[in-house]
Amino acid sequence: MSSRTRIALSALVAGAALAVLTAFATTAPAPVVAAKPGAAGTTAPAVPAATGEKKESISTADHSKFKELQKEFKSGPEVTKACLTCHTEAAKQIQKTQHWTWEFLNPDTKQTLGKKHIINNFCTAVESNQKFCTACHIGYGWEDQKFDFTKQENVDCLVCHESTGTYRKIPGLSGHPPYKDMEFPPHTGKIVKAPDLAKVAQSVGKTSRANCGACHFYGGGGDAVKHGDLDSTLKNPGKYLDIHMDKKGLNFTCGTCHMTAGHKVPGSRYAPTAADIKDAAPHLRGKMVTTNPATCQACHGAKPHPAKMARLNDHTSKLACQTCHIPEYARGQPTKMSWDWSTAGKLTPEGKPFKVQGSDGHDAYDSKKGNFTWESHVIPEYIWFNGKVDYTLSDTKLDPTKVVQINRFEGSPNDGKSLIWPVKVFHGQQPYDTVNKTLIVPHTFGADDSAYWTNFDWDKSLAEGMKVAGIPYSGQYGFVKTEMSWPITHMVAPKADALSCAQCHSKNGRLKGVQGIYMPGRDSNKMLDIFGWGIALLALIGVLIHGGIRIITRKHEG
Amino acid sequence: MLKLIGGFIAGLVFVGVLAYNFMGSLMFREIPSPFGVEETVARIQQNIQNAGNGWTLAGLRNPAKAVEADGGNALPVMMVEACSTKYSGPILRDDTVRFLSILMPCKISVYKKNDGKTYIGMMNAGLMGKMFGPLVGGIMGQVAKDQAKFVQFDASKPAPPMIKATPGAGAGGAPGAGGGC
Repeated sequence: MSSRTRIALSALVAGAALAVLTAFATTAPAPVVAAKPGAAGTTAPAVPAATGEKKESISTADHSKFKELQKEFKSGPEVTKACLTCHTEAAKQIQKTQHWTWEFLNPDTKQTLGKKHIINNFCTAVESNQKFCTACHIGYGWEDQKFDFTKQENVDCLVCHESTGTYRKIPGLSGHPPYKDMEFPPHTGKIVKAPDLAKVAQSVGKTSRANCGACHFYGGGGDAVKHGDLDSTLKNPGKYLDIHMDKKGLNFTCGTCHMTAGHKVPGSRYAPTAADIKDAAPHLRGKMVTTNPATCQACHGAKPHPAKMARLNDHTSKLACQTCHIPEYARGQPTKMSWDWSTAGKLTPEGKPFKVQGSDGHDAYDSKKGNFTWESHVIPEYIWFNGKVDYTLSDTKLDPTKVVQINRFEGSPNDGKSLIWPVKVFHGQQPYDTVNKTLIVPHTFGADDSAYWTNFDWDKSLAEGMKVAGIPYSGQYGFVKTEMSWPITHMVAPKADALSCAQCHSKNGRLKGVQGIYMPGRDSNKMLDIFGWGIALLALIGVLIHGGIRIITRKHEG
Repeated sequence: MLKLIGGFIAGLVFVGVLAYNFMGSLMFREIPSPFGVEETVARIQQNIQNAGNGWTLAGLRNPAKAVEADGGNALPVMMVEACSTKYSGPILRDDTVRFLSILMPCKISVYKKNDGKTYIGMMNAGLMGKMFGPLVGGIMGQVAKDQAKFVQFDASKPAPPMIKATPGAGAGGAPGAGGGC
């Protein structure tokens, strides 16, 4: 090694050592600047106090002044009779809707759907459990198959229109509220007060978020269980949770989008609109339109982004708005992600059912229902969806060696109707008939000997459920893994929180599992890559050769 | 002479580039958790309580809540704060290193990322401590050993409840005497 090289190397090492020492040297603390008086330890701004002012009603009717409502009511149907004296057509309208019939004939698949018919992987099925499940029916008295769907006073007007917040339908009362104070849930010591029906009746008005939420926030047996994008945090949401429903902002109710006419509420999940009409211009409220008013495009149109972000408008033919604008669901509280019925039935040594809470305070195990998992801020799964959904019904043959899809969302990148949608996929394990290869309707609720939640005997429960439902049952059962998908469409985040380009256009981005589309940043073509890198390499070689020649010729000239 | 200075500068630049690229990952560690955010927090809290050496829970912060209050969204982040007077005391009593109180209490961050998985973020206390002399280096070395135990989980044990309110901690989670720091 020459002395010059040694000197150069020594200098390099000395420089490196100095740099390391400098980096590891103890630095003097910076001068302290006194905090401003009153400065808080957090970055969150103080929330403005509520003004407490009562909003003036714009209604032309004050129901508290109606003589028909100024009396003591003993039951819900009595209130309905009073309502119908003025609103003569209301019950007839209701009785034509899915909210009443719990039935829906899908015109595409010809499947008869609705709560009355489907078997899901939450509480499974309504049949034989009506007394319990009909706490969410907009009617009174549906306790078995003899329920009179034509009786107008059986319609419950209050659950959708009351505004006191005191009217609550308790599971087990066949859709009635408690008419005297009662302990609920049983053996908890919690008392649910009987509502003052006259006061409740006089409070009626337009349907609020709390009215719809009384059922839709609690689907699947509790708050935030079923949908993932609907839960009680939407009663009074902040801007972060839903830009449209923000209580201090636009303050939309459910009805603002689900624009209802004649009690017919558009926007059902049984026949969802996956893609609105192509190149739809926004049709503002009040215009006569025949399309679903609950889509994003109904207000925002098919090219919603401003000119400076026009590139984003090119995405609307492939992506549902929800894909970017609902980056996560269950942002207000955790939602249930799985339910394993096969572990239900464990009892204490004294033979009592019990519950175990998880770290987040939610039930992780319940003797009546089995094991659960919960999660908040869930990253959705993404699928192609064209609006067509096929259900596994009670007569559908299933393959127990595979995960059974309770509902199968159809879609393809090539059908011209599909968009990429975010979905919640709920995982279950539930009873099925091992001989007939069909899902089973269990009888869970009731004081009778065969109710699972009373006797924890699957044999009796399943036999009774299937008998009441009128479905053939071999008497042999097992548990099969199931999946049920839910399109995510609520909890729209502020635009600043929409997905960024790189969150999808990257190797392990959000859409890594979505097939049938070429996405720059995610996908690559080997030949194209070799060609591109080849060009780059040739350019580099060219630069080096050119630079080398210049250096050599300059030396010669010098 | 020119080559000597050039080599020296090149050495400085070389180490600077190295430090720029690697110091972040050397000073801080990120490991995936097999559990969700809440369960990870709860298991870390349990480990801290069982760690001995004077360790106590000092607080639990949720910085994402402040973002929500401001109208925005952030994936869940929770910071478990723990303190041991056995380790903090000698540092807090020495004027030359008391400014290191800025690193107290010891924090372990649990967060979800866009892949939907939960991660644990920690300061590399051992390496950090070495920068501040033998007293701090020795203490932080011990802290690093305890810290490693905080994130060792026994999945066969049931999930403990998450401790939301820490005795002695104020509204922001910063403790008084209860946390020991």
